[in-house]
Amino acid sequence: MKPGRLIGKAILALAGFLAVFPLLWTALNALKNNVDIITRVPRLVFTPTSANISYILGRDSVLTGLYNSVVACGSAVLIGVVLGLPAAYAVARYPNRWAGDIQFFVLSLRFLPPVAVAIPLMVIWLQVGLYDTLPALIITYSLLTISVIMWLAIPAFQGVPKEIEEAAFVDGYGAYSVFWRIALPVAARSLAGAVAFSFVLVWNEFLIALMLSSSNAKTLPIVASELSQQGMNVPWGILNASVVLLSLPPLLFLGVLSGFLNSVFRQKKT
Amino acid sequence: MARRTSLPVTFVVPTIAILLVLSMVPTLYAIVIALQNRELSTPDYSWVWLSNFYDLFLDRRFLNAVWVSVKWEIVTVVATMVVAIGLGVLMFEVASPRLRNVYCLLFIIPVLLPRVSAAFVWKFAYHPLYGIATYPYRLITGGLIFDPLSKPATALFAVASVDVWQWGLFFAVIVLKLLETLPPQPIEAARLDHAKRWQIHAYVTLPMLKAPLISLMFVKMIESLRSFDLIYVMTRGGPGVATETLDMYAFSQGFIESGKVSYASAMAVLMMIATVITFTMLWKRVQA
Repeated sequence: MKPGRLIGKAILALAGFLAVFPLLWTALNALKNNVDIITRVPRLVFTPTSANISYILGRDSVLTGLYNSVVACGSAVLIGVVLGLPAAYAVARYPNRWAGDIQFFVLSLRFLPPVAVAIPLMVIWLQVGLYDTLPALIITYSLLTISVIMWLAIPAFQGVPKEIEEAAFVDGYGAYSVFWRIALPVAARSLAGAVAFSFVLVWNEFLIALMLSSSNAKTLPIVASELSQQGMNVPWGILNASVVLLSLPPLLFLGVLSGFLNSVFRQKKT
Repeated sequence: MARRTSLPVTFVVPTIAILLVLSMVPTLYAIVIALQNRELSTPDYSWVWLSNFYDLFLDRRFLNAVWVSVKWEIVTVVATMVVAIGLGVLMFEVASPRLRNVYCLLFIIPVLLPRVSAAFVWKFAYHPLYGIATYPYRLITGGLIFDPLSKPATALFAVASVDVWQWGLFFAVIVLKLLETLPPQPIEAARLDHAKRWQIHAYVTLPMLKAPLISLMFVKMIESLRSFDLIYVMTRGGPGVATETLDMYAFSQGFIESGKVSYASAMAVLMMIATVITFTMLWKRVQA
């Protein structure tokens, strides 16, 4: 058994290393001059430079992309919260014969291939005159955020003990104030996870943004992918810096999301 | 809680109405476009009904894309589940609670990365001359060149490895959490019967987790269909058409090469029909 355990630990350590090392290496490359990146033997010791990062942060296209990403994702998540959370609560707490169908409908939105949605939307937005604008992107992303938030929030609301809500009704609360003052605060942790998850999803979205924007409404992933097409001399350091910038916002939610996973699986135990 | 209140109606109806409009309008419109002959370059169009679909089945590149998509699904779903179950069980067996927490955090990081970032990170790593992942090969062989992304035989697997890096590690965390929620008694009983550790998992714990594991696989099957960004950044469907999946081909037909929006839409409609039928059937079976 002993050597088996040792091998097991070694495999796990290797997997842990593989999980983060490529990203750390990218972050390191973002601090290197091109000569230190283009080497046959990877270089760990080098003179760091901030040129790549300041180049990235000084470019208008990157700043516009960052702005578009923040506005589009932020608004879509807000719409998702306003429309998705109450609907999820109603489905979780007032089950009727439609509840199963609603849940399946919300899930089935995930089956739709993004190309199948993006092609007609592109034609529609062109006809309406909203192609390549943030509102078009926000409306399209709302479909994504509403359905994801609903899908994750239904079990979160079901996890709230019914007794607490019953007690509130006995105290004379109406249905709406039970939602506001009891269900929302009690489920807050799981709901935050659901919201964070929907944000990460739209922040990382690429295909729809690529097809629905041509110049004004480009989001950060599109701008980052375009940096790689600048001529023959690949600006490795700059590319690495842009990858790091693009990756940072979702990583900020690491704590929220791992807490979310923990709370989801703790509920299942009972 | 059968109380008389307007809450369910005011909370559900507007949201579902908006979702229906937002999803049905593009879906129906996709079908309409697929039955016409629209192109990006000209505003004129007429109805051609099913001829786009007819052309598709004579298009060898389309048939290749179907085959690549099927390969992609099988490779990524199987590899993800193998990695997830393997690492999840390993963590359960050999890692202390504190170490488990550390691994869980580390394993969630890759899936949080935008696919575009993940694709770039590994595109650098797979660079034949300067890549960190190809460095061991250069070191051992004394400088021979290994270029996985530009060989038709390896390109699909090289891209798939990034997908598995993102999802396999993440699912390992979920498998571990699932194992932790199991009641300890059956495991104890099996141990008393001198079952080996791998036997306990093969015959006791994993069968107990059959339903959630099938759901996980279901989620991965859906997510695997959304690999456009990965392929777009890493290979653009190349070398040749070795990694050209359906969505990649639809995109290049509709936008890059010829602007045949209707042709691309016909492809997308076929994809939509195939996925909706397949996943609805699978879902009903999973639920039953």
